[in-house]
Amino acid sequence: MFSIAAASERFSFNHVVLDRGVAEPRRHRPVRSGDDRARDPRVLTLGGALSGAEPPPPSRRLGRDGGGLGRYGDRVAAVRASGLVKRFGTTCALDSVDLVVEEGEVRGLLGPNGAGKTTLLRILFGLVRADAGSVELFGRKVGPADSGALEGVSGFVEDPSFYPYLSGRANLELLAELDGGATRERVDGVLERVGLGARGADRVSGYSTGMKQRLGIAASLLRAPRALLLDEPTAGLDPAGVREVGALVRELSAEGVAIVLSSHQIAEIEGVCDTFTVLRRGRRVWDGTVAALRAQAPASAYRLATSDDRRALEIAKHRPGVRPEPSLGDGLVLAVEEGQLDSYVLALGQAGVAVRRLELARSPLESMFFALTGESATAPESPSAVGEPALAGT
Amino acid sequence: MTATGAPAARAGLPARVAGRHTGTWAVYRAERRKLSSQLAVRLLALICVLGPFLFAAVLKVQSGSPTDDLFGVWVHSSGYALSLVVLTFAGSWGFPLMAGIVTGDMFSAEDRYGTWKMLLTRSCTRRDLFVGKLLVAATFSLGLLLVTAVASIAAGVLLVGNQSLVSLSGTLFSPGRSLGLVLLSWLLCAPPTLAFASLAALLSITTRNGIMGVVGPGLAALAMQLLLLVGAGVWAHSLLVGSAFGGWHALFTEHPFYGQLAVAIAVSVLWTVACLAISWSILRGRDFAGTPVVRRQGWGMPVRVVLALAAVVTFLAIAGNWGPAGVTSARLQASLTPTFNNLTLIQQRELGRTVPPGAKLDIVPTCSRRGSTPRGPGDWICTMNVFIPQPGAVPFQQTPVTYDVSVDSDGCYKAQSPPSFIGQQTMRDAQGRSVINPLYTIYGCLNILRGG
Repeated sequence: MFSIAAASERFSFNHVVLDRGVAEPRRHRPVRSGDDRARDPRVLTLGGALSGAEPPPPSRRLGRDGGGLGRYGDRVAAVRASGLVKRFGTTCALDSVDLVVEEGEVRGLLGPNGAGKTTLLRILFGLVRADAGSVELFGRKVGPADSGALEGVSGFVEDPSFYPYLSGRANLELLAELDGGATRERVDGVLERVGLGARGADRVSGYSTGMKQRLGIAASLLRAPRALLLDEPTAGLDPAGVREVGALVRELSAEGVAIVLSSHQIAEIEGVCDTFTVLRRGRRVWDGTVAALRAQAPASAYRLATSDDRRALEIAKHRPGVRPEPSLGDGLVLAVEEGQLDSYVLALGQAGVAVRRLELARSPLESMFFALTGESATAPESPSAVGEPALAGT
Repeated sequence: MTATGAPAARAGLPARVAGRHTGTWAVYRAERRKLSSQLAVRLLALICVLGPFLFAAVLKVQSGSPTDDLFGVWVHSSGYALSLVVLTFAGSWGFPLMAGIVTGDMFSAEDRYGTWKMLLTRSCTRRDLFVGKLLVAATFSLGLLLVTAVASIAAGVLLVGNQSLVSLSGTLFSPGRSLGLVLLSWLLCAPPTLAFASLAALLSITTRNGIMGVVGPGLAALAMQLLLLVGAGVWAHSLLVGSAFGGWHALFTEHPFYGQLAVAIAVSVLWTVACLAISWSILRGRDFAGTPVVRRQGWGMPVRVVLALAAVVTFLAIAGNWGPAGVTSARLQASLTPTFNNLTLIQQRELGRTVPPGAKLDIVPTCSRRGSTPRGPGDWICTMNVFIPQPGAVPFQQTPVTYDVSVDSDGCYKAQSPPSFIGQQTMRDAQGRSVINPLYTIYGCLNILRGG
């Protein structure tokens, strides 16, 4: 375990730092060629129906492969926040935070509760005035009295809220009215896409938290966004819903939509993000690509239950790359470096110790996240299966 | 919007329609839809349509009449009187309550449901939302006012009749003229109604509490009515927007006086502009920081608003005596004497006596106020000394008729005389029918702004 200060010194930030110290994200996800996209009926039908966007032209897709368009100096970023400061009384919610998101980029906005994620999103939406700094969306300055700057920008902050006395469909129609109207087919389309097709006529007062979350996503998609800012979009969703949101984010990203996903659990969004910005107490403590984060991350932690935990612990202490950690419950928690897990399990077998349960307690990225944000590493109970992030695209 | 197209074009993205700034009318359409789906507003509309008919039906089956109202005594004699009685009640309570129900929760509901952030992240500005919501509030308020006007006139004409209307000067207005004046009177209540709607919006935005927004205008109307009972000065009373609902009284006198009407409209506009300016300055500078609704809905802000309103009420009560007194002996005599004259002529005609056109009684009035001060609203005693020509040595018979007169601060009064002087409330006309004795209770209005 290491402290934040130690972590900051230890990690070499291998990304390029541009103006105001904003890190340029390095794309690690392979971008499909234009022909691949054209042959993929899922992207064309679902994506087109949901966002109203046509597939990007070949020139743009080539650009995403590194043809020069990836640099911020060449085109306007979807989101550019510079030096944002926001104080609520004596509390500094944001302290000189920068954020840049390109079109087609999925940026995870991470941090524990109270880190400043929601405040940052509120400022991006113009709901709150920053004490200092500026925000540009597609090159347009954002101010509290001018929601016109939000053209092409959609999403929600905190829990999506609706009029409880209206149906889900009526709520969407009403919001669509504010955007200039939408056809019934389009409203039905987004309701179907988020799994609310059968409940669209019901009043929102009867919706569960997860259903409201889905309706919030539907409301965001209704606007055909070019930038999507989602504050904890998977909160309250069941596992299937979480997976669907991941798939949706990937589809929209492939169409060129810039997406900001905020979460306080890296495990929920690590599978879909290109880049991460990690906040801690209003300050940005990490900004870079997932690959960079992963490369510098410490070992994974596993929760292990055996027929003889004491013997298993003894074996672990003498294995290279395996380090026992304090455990709050039954069984063991072991930090295991990559490639060492198999040999350790085999060693247990040879010693006559049966493995009864083995699950990922903390992925490398989670370990990194806890180190950056100063949270306890043993606290969270990850529901994830081994090696599979929760918000993985299909 | 040019900045929007540039990055999109550079990125090769197609131009998108959705998300474009849509403006006030998009908000107007959405808010109209929201408001029309609310149960309270639907019930209110139902009351506005059916209320006058129910009122007329109740009056139809009973002989009594609402004698506290300026035209209440004539509700069985003219359908237009019924509409004016409804208008008087609406001006006292109906319009302020209606404005509260329509507008009072329009802004605070967004706080209660947490929907401000959903609205403000769509394609409309705060100004669009503010103006759009207010336009819907105005549309519904004026729409309900017109519906009530039409319903009350229809109920009066259908259930009572299209008869001539006895004016506040005791003259008869033809049915056509009555209809026009009644319609105009309803329209003249539009400015103060909008002022109360603006007050409701201000309370809704300031307190973020729906109860304050809905009930506040009604409480304000009550406070204003109480304030009108305090003091004799004209200035503070004229500034109370509640008194603006009575501006139409001036139309129903033999010689209409338009000064009070102009003041009523000006005061309404002043209140509307002031309330909306404060509302907008608050909404424009507000941070939607997402504080939990449960904390917002606390009583801190409502209590502060109530205290502020209490301070304003106290100030206005003290200011009640500022300015010249609107009710004086001379003005009351100048108003009551011709009214008494005209009503006496009506009475004589109904009794079957011949009254030559332009006949005029020889009346010497004397009016004095009960109490320590000789001026101002309150209880007065007026004696009409009528000199009736007679044959013989004494050419005139002096007949004194004494009235107890209760005068309001707006100059409207109700004069009643003991039956020993002018008979019972009803009398038999020349055809033997039971009719209202026009002299039993006299209603009128004097011009409190008239010079002299």
